[in-house]
Amino acid sequence: MLRALSGTTRFILLLLALLLSVIFLLPKQTRSVLQTIGQPISAVVFLPIEALTTLEQSVIGLWQEYVALRHVREDNRQLRRDLDGLQRQNSDLRESAVAAQRLGSLLEFKEQFVPHTVAARVVGRDSTNWYSSVILNKGDRDGIQPEMGVMTSAGIVGRVVKTGPFSSIVLLVTDPHNAITGIIQRSRDEGIVEGTFQGRARIKYLPLLASIRVGDIVVTSGLTGGFPRGIVIGTVLTMQKEEGELFQSAEIAPQADLSKLEEVLIITVPRSLEAQSDVKSK
Amino acid sequence: MKQALYAGLILGLVPLQVTGLNYVGIAGIRPDLTLIATFLIGFLSGGIEGLLMGVLLGCVQDLFSAGSLWVNLIVKGIIGLLAGLLGRHLANATPVTVCAFLFVLSVLSGSIAAVWIRAEDDLTVVPHIIQSVVLPQALFDATLGAVIYWLMPGRRREAEFGDDMALFGR
Repeated sequence: MLRALSGTTRFILLLLALLLSVIFLLPKQTRSVLQTIGQPISAVVFLPIEALTTLEQSVIGLWQEYVALRHVREDNRQLRRDLDGLQRQNSDLRESAVAAQRLGSLLEFKEQFVPHTVAARVVGRDSTNWYSSVILNKGDRDGIQPEMGVMTSAGIVGRVVKTGPFSSIVLLVTDPHNAITGIIQRSRDEGIVEGTFQGRARIKYLPLLASIRVGDIVVTSGLTGGFPRGIVIGTVLTMQKEEGELFQSAEIAPQADLSKLEEVLIITVPRSLEAQSDVKSK
Repeated sequence: MKQALYAGLILGLVPLQVTGLNYVGIAGIRPDLTLIATFLIGFLSGGIEGLLMGVLLGCVQDLFSAGSLWVNLIVKGIIGLLAGLLGRHLANATPVTVCAFLFVLSVLSGSIAAVWIRAEDDLTVVPHIIQSVVLPQALFDATLGAVIYWLMPGRRREAEFGDDMALFGR
């Protein structure tokens, strides 16, 4: 049977059989080889992704402009009337802005809680239906590495699992393959936050005597590498305590709206790691 | 011409899958364009081409997925080969037969991937995954694949099955 095949076909089949054997016999080594081969491919394929995202944004922008233009004449009259009033308000607001800037620098939220972050844009979703993940437009070249935490101002989003030269894949906190240590903010009980198949998260392995209430806030414990302590994960929706079980669990609604992610912050140096390096240097 | 089309598919299909398809998904489930493309290439041009394109498209798909770097590479390769085997036995395929075959192969590949992905954690959730992800996606794939096949000009090219006939002993 094989003799009837052309030389090229025989070579292709042999190569594929060899590839399959190597994948099954040496999975770890294969992963690193595939990752190395995948880097340039990922860089090339990322260009159309960027282009499509830009196109998508332009189409959305055009549509929004069209909708806005439909009532432009009436709006224009109204706006002219408003303009006079706004000019007066403007000088007052300038004064307020200076004050807000001063207060903002006093708060120094960013410096206190998440000192090193890189802003990134969401350019796509997972290429399969198997994982809840998003693709970001920052990768190896921007210093992004696997296991780094990702958040928005509302709360945590997930963690980086794969990086390419210009892109990275973030596994969302609602994915069942994700696990982050979390604590109930009020009672300080610790558990593991995992995603569910219903698109929510669940904090598991909470002690039986832990006091949990609906509406409790769950925050990161800082024990897992990618996240500093105290970043909001979500709010407790329901509790589950079954007879005979050693632990209890609770379902959480993530604080960040993961279905409408646009811009995120990647935590490049978590506070816990930074504290460790500070101690070492001292 | 064919090479240019294949290169275009390799470069363009996964970007379309990760960006544009977010708008056509129902309850978060989207059709798998790489699976449809692999099936149609294997079905129309033979198992060897299907296998090669399946491996390449699966490889690119794996690069932009949170999963392992070889699951789609292998699964899509197998789908391409099986599509070639099915195509060889059908002289006059209709969109309905394409729909049926694509549904079966999508369920098969989805089930393999589900077992593979969950093997290390918890296999008891696999039936739930099949019900909530694999079957809806298979319906989506089958419908879209049949429509694309129906729209394609000059669907079958028997001459290109030479190597496949030899491979499968005909």
